[in-house]
Amino acid sequence: MSAVTEDERAIKWSYMDHWRSNGPTGPVDQWHSHKTMSAFLKQIKATGFDAIDTFDFRIWQMYGDYGGPAKYQEMVRDHGLERIVNTFHAADYDVRNYAPHLPETHANILEDFRVTMGRWSEIELDNIIVMPATLFYDMEPITEDKLKYSAECWNKVGEITAGFGVKLTCHHEFFCGIQSEPDIETFYSYTDPRYVSLFVDTAQHCIAGLDPVALYDRHAHRVSGFHFKDTRNVATGDDHRHRPDSEIMAPTTGKWFYEMGTPHGLVDFEAMMTAVRDNGYRGWISVEHDKANKEGGDYSESTAISRWYAKNVLEEIYR
Amino acid sequence: MRDTLRWAYALNQWNVRLDVFVRHEEQQRALKTVSACGFDTIELASGTGRWDNISRPEVILANHGSHEGFLDFLRRAKVQGVSSIFWDPQAPTEEEEGYAFRSTANPGDSDAIVEWAEPFVDFLAGVGGEQLVVRPVGSAWMSPPLDPDGIKVVGDVWNRIGELTSAAGLGLALHYDCLGAVHTQEELVGLLDATDPATVGLALDTAEFTIGGIDPVAFYREHADRVTHVHLKDTRYADAGEEYRMPGAESTMLKGGAGRRIERWFYELGTEGGLVDVTGFVAALRERDFPGWVVVESDHGGNPAELAMLNSWYLQRELGVPKS
Repeated sequence: MSAVTEDERAIKWSYMDHWRSNGPTGPVDQWHSHKTMSAFLKQIKATGFDAIDTFDFRIWQMYGDYGGPAKYQEMVRDHGLERIVNTFHAADYDVRNYAPHLPETHANILEDFRVTMGRWSEIELDNIIVMPATLFYDMEPITEDKLKYSAECWNKVGEITAGFGVKLTCHHEFFCGIQSEPDIETFYSYTDPRYVSLFVDTAQHCIAGLDPVALYDRHAHRVSGFHFKDTRNVATGDDHRHRPDSEIMAPTTGKWFYEMGTPHGLVDFEAMMTAVRDNGYRGWISVEHDKANKEGGDYSESTAISRWYAKNVLEEIYR
Repeated sequence: MRDTLRWAYALNQWNVRLDVFVRHEEQQRALKTVSACGFDTIELASGTGRWDNISRPEVILANHGSHEGFLDFLRRAKVQGVSSIFWDPQAPTEEEEGYAFRSTANPGDSDAIVEWAEPFVDFLAGVGGEQLVVRPVGSAWMSPPLDPDGIKVVGDVWNRIGELTSAAGLGLALHYDCLGAVHTQEELVGLLDATDPATVGLALDTAEFTIGGIDPVAFYREHADRVTHVHLKDTRYADAGEEYRMPGAESTMLKGGAGRRIERWFYELGTEGGLVDVTGFVAALRERDFPGWVVVESDHGGNPAELAMLNSWYLQRELGVPKS
């Protein structure tokens, strides 16, 4: 394809900040110290990522260790990265007080987002990403009413986040209550496109038995971002029904997630990137390979290889 | 990495033990990591036996069929070629007289060592490499100090091998290391003086020099005409005096088995407390338009992928080397 200058790129790459490394005191993540954070950011920048995504619960370390999100973002920029693009709101989903399908918990959820968005307001975010339902076993049986109540909840949350200039976007884990194709379609039929977007995680949809490319094509007009990661397994039986979290506890599979380009990966990334191009998407694609260190894996290596794949395979299709 | 210097990355740290770096898939992962860090050329390190299928020339060819087959394997990961191979004739190998122990300091071993060099010369030429990088002499603790006559014996072996490499269109670079029997600056200069500048050069390893008590920047400025190859890495320690003479210094000194018990000597570029003036050294290379390969290493440092990424960041951000 013809040369595209740095300024003309339609796609930029962000790294979702799962990480582990071995330090003198044993395994640590990047939030262990300023030194480990610096090493993490250097590695992300060195391989060609443009930015990072992070988790909402890290905000306490941002305040405690760095002086807040803006100060932490200064450190990110000092290492050559542009900014923090998205944050993932990893709520606990306790059915007593935080369950989108239970209207009596909505007031608590809305208040959580009013507070949360205030905390993040000192920096510019594109998306706040949520799992749109409780864990599957806390929501089943999945009924149309429950999907409707969930949609109503996120419509209101999305209105709050929009007030802060941030999109509310839904990320459907294979073990959450809204993961099958018909349930996802029903859920979006009740949501307001102005306030609720879809965030396509290629591996999660594959594990749940969906074709992520087809899902994206159907909802492209309201897709606000991606997690590009791979998997080698589809969930079977009741893989999606294990406490506390099927990503960890499903009996059939010890490691669900792999970096892009892994052998025997189920995600058709070339078709995905072609769809991204053909739908005219411009903006950020986030790369993720959570739990990459399981079964002998290594975050540094997986991160380098995923960026290698983005550069040498996907950018040949669209950049 | 692209600027006026030519940058390559060494694979040595991935291949730390007999059978850990054998599957082609694992090798592809390392090559892709190096490529993602911006390096499209690699340095290989010699090895022995059927497991060393990215180290020992005959075994590489058995795995890939031909030189071109091996290059195709590298190119699958967007690595375009081989800058150099490191070879230590003092390290016994199966292929060479069944693990015979020979030394360049022993005149009786010269003919055999020259013969041993041939597979490396042939392979390096076949894959389009440029430098055979060699350990010129064994460890200091294993033999009495070398006098000028002893250094001449060593130099004569390398002059003979230099003729071989030169005839094949290659360079021969003697790699100083901090344990070697050629240890002081005076001894090193003596060895260079005992070799033919037309066919034998020096591989300057910034960390090895610093540990050995030789300032790499000053040495390069004084002897730039002899430096044909560079290994770039950092260290936090220098030999306190005679540590390199401790019996079994490979283990007692460099693995922390005795003495000050320092377990790790080699570090990535930009490490806190690093003793090497990396920016000063690279500036000196640029001033002289150094034409050879500058090979960055994760050697004996830790997670090879992590260190390659940290080294890449340092090159891009601190040395201003564009990635591509």
